[in-house]
Amino acid sequence: MTKSVKRQLDASQEHSLLRATLENMAQGVAMYDAEHKLVTWNERFRLYLDMPDEFLGTDRTFSDYIRYLGDRGEFGDADIEEELKKRLALLETSHSFERVRPDGMVLEVRRDPIEGGGFIAIYTDITERKNAELALRKAKDDAESASKVKSAFLANMSHELRTPLNAIIGYSELLAEDARDRSDEAGLADLEKIRAAGKHLLGLINDILDLSKIEAGKMELYLERTPISSMLDEVKTLVAPLIEKNANVLVIECPDDIGSIRTDVTKLKQCLINLLGNAAKFTRAGTIILRVSRRRYGHGASTVNFDVVDSGIGMTDEQVSRLFQAFTQADSSTTRNFGGTGLGLTITRHFCAMMGGTIDVRSAPGQGSAFSIRLPDEEAEAAASVGRPHAKAAEEARAKSSVRVLVVDDDIVVHDVLSATLEREGYSLMHARDGAEALEIMRRTPPDVVTLDVDMPRVDGWSVLGTMKSDPQLAHIPVIMLTVLDDRNLGFSLGASEFMTKPVDRDRLLALLHKLAPAAGRAPVLIIDDDPDVRDLVKATVKTAGMASAEAVNGRLALQWLGENPPPALILLDLMMPEMDGFEFLEQVRDRADLVHVPIVVLTAKELTEPERIYLAEQTLLVLSKNGQPIRSLGPALLALAERGHAAPPVIAEEK
Amino acid sequence: MKILLVEDNEMNRDMLSRRLTRNGYEVVMATDGQQAVDMAASEKPDLILMDMSLPVIDGWEATRLVKAAPDTQDIPVIALTAHAMVEDKDKAMGAGCDDFDTKPVDIQRLIGKIRALTDGGGG
Repeated sequence: MTKSVKRQLDASQEHSLLRATLENMAQGVAMYDAEHKLVTWNERFRLYLDMPDEFLGTDRTFSDYIRYLGDRGEFGDADIEEELKKRLALLETSHSFERVRPDGMVLEVRRDPIEGGGFIAIYTDITERKNAELALRKAKDDAESASKVKSAFLANMSHELRTPLNAIIGYSELLAEDARDRSDEAGLADLEKIRAAGKHLLGLINDILDLSKIEAGKMELYLERTPISSMLDEVKTLVAPLIEKNANVLVIECPDDIGSIRTDVTKLKQCLINLLGNAAKFTRAGTIILRVSRRRYGHGASTVNFDVVDSGIGMTDEQVSRLFQAFTQADSSTTRNFGGTGLGLTITRHFCAMMGGTIDVRSAPGQGSAFSIRLPDEEAEAAASVGRPHAKAAEEARAKSSVRVLVVDDDIVVHDVLSATLEREGYSLMHARDGAEALEIMRRTPPDVVTLDVDMPRVDGWSVLGTMKSDPQLAHIPVIMLTVLDDRNLGFSLGASEFMTKPVDRDRLLALLHKLAPAAGRAPVLIIDDDPDVRDLVKATVKTAGMASAEAVNGRLALQWLGENPPPALILLDLMMPEMDGFEFLEQVRDRADLVHVPIVVLTAKELTEPERIYLAEQTLLVLSKNGQPIRSLGPALLALAERGHAAPPVIAEEK
Repeated sequence: MKILLVEDNEMNRDMLSRRLTRNGYEVVMATDGQQAVDMAASEKPDLILMDMSLPVIDGWEATRLVKAAPDTQDIPVIALTAHAMVEDKDKAMGAGCDDFDTKPVDIQRLIGKIRALTDGGGG
């Protein structure tokens, strides 16, 4: 046989080959010509779509099949002509979609135009893959609900523990009041012991609950600006009985111009009380110093240091190294001698990290101990003086970048209250006094979230919600319904995302907004790490905290990213990386004026030397160990840090 | 000043009522959520102290009912719970409670909250 003959197949052979190929494919295939007539198909196509043989034929068009399937109920309640129109509109381009058949089979349908007219449709049975995905999702949901069950168990356990304790403390106080009335000094002293023991037990329960909350990622941060001196006065009063117990003296050293700090005051107080309480516990007839100082970095950025120094028994290096671990004290006999849960320092360290700060300790046996808490702060005065001349520019920048909330309410007071609350948190507000105005505004400038009052004149909240959810342009916007009464079921069935009863609880509203409009418009967190697993984990954590992220696998690429993008909200920096490591990266970004306000957090597995530690303390906001707390638990802290950066003005002006 | 104390735990009820009485309040008591709703209407108290885990209907539901009825909706309700989680507070406030306190009760702090909601008065 000659070459040319060998290469040629006759028409019937070609046809058989094509047939065999088609029939052996794992997919259903159908080809249509330029007039949308079915030209060829395979058995699997007939099977997957469950088409009767007599229906299939070349005189049928694509539209005939869709109508046939529709009549048979394959598209559920959807309008058949609408379904057909949708499909015809898509035929110009390659497209694919998934369709669930009434018997539960999941089909992936892919259609590609053929050159010269017509198209080919390929049907793949992805039921198994879908089921596996469902199983995975279910496993994930189960795991999440298991964690919820654990939290609920803790809450219940704390309830069960507190109820009898409630009786112990309460009755001892009642009896003590009686004893005082009778001037029964001996009885009073005993009752006081019962009460004190009860209070102590309550403290232990609270510590355990705190730690569980931290580990479950449920501990929340409430930032507010507080004068430092008045906070110190409170702390001093609260620790006085502890200090006096071992005949110690507390000396507070604090400059008069220390000013205020924006942080979670309750947690800061708890940290200081913990440290002072420890110092008092391990020191006898000595002096305990609480030294407060501020270190300024220019542009209003500073850190406030709280040092607690005692002249007590001190610790060995080995004891220091185990100090911050849960349920360990320097020595297990310590618990017997000195009491305490051994949780105080663990909680203190977690709180410091949540507030964006650090805690360090220096100690030697017999030489006393010195604990230092370092918290970042941005001074209000500095922020204000920079803010004023740029208020307008800042306002504009904010409107562009921040989350837009449309407040719909006929009550002017609600507008005032929400403005005061939300604008301070960086949201930009739009206002509508009735339903008609609300719809008009949201069609012109789509908001990220709507808060919607139910009871309004003319068009009420329910109608606005109904209109929004039936308008494809507005349907995706999350709606928080504000009601006096609780009409949850009606609201959820109409498509409301969340409910709040009036009067509005500020913290809950902020939490809801945060959940519904997380990262919209905000600068991302830049994750610099060469390990893809760590990047994924951090990325997921950042996402859970409601922020967007960008990634770079080493310092050089990070610099490149920073050169091409606006400043991120936060930089998370690994130290050991190929090409350009974290230290060199820090050198390189140090002089960039636009990055002055971007907080840098080092996340490393490296054991740091003392000079490295000092260098990083100066150059970055915070150093976190990958071996310390689980990365997933860092979400709230990262968010707090990023928001601090977000609130900072982008450019600092020199004022003369 | 009349306070409706809703608490199913006998010891807690006895203790808190005695301490409130000692501080000059008139105390009436309910032991479940339904009784609380009924007594809010019949006794017209100046304030309700509501435990949240109650039999028959719970404290959240009872608060919702009190706040939904026109003749009892203006009575301030302070939720008392042993839970100290933020979501418990949210849940109580969401049900319409005016304030929130955790047990064990610190009587001075509680009296402060009662005074804040009833324009002083009391003992």
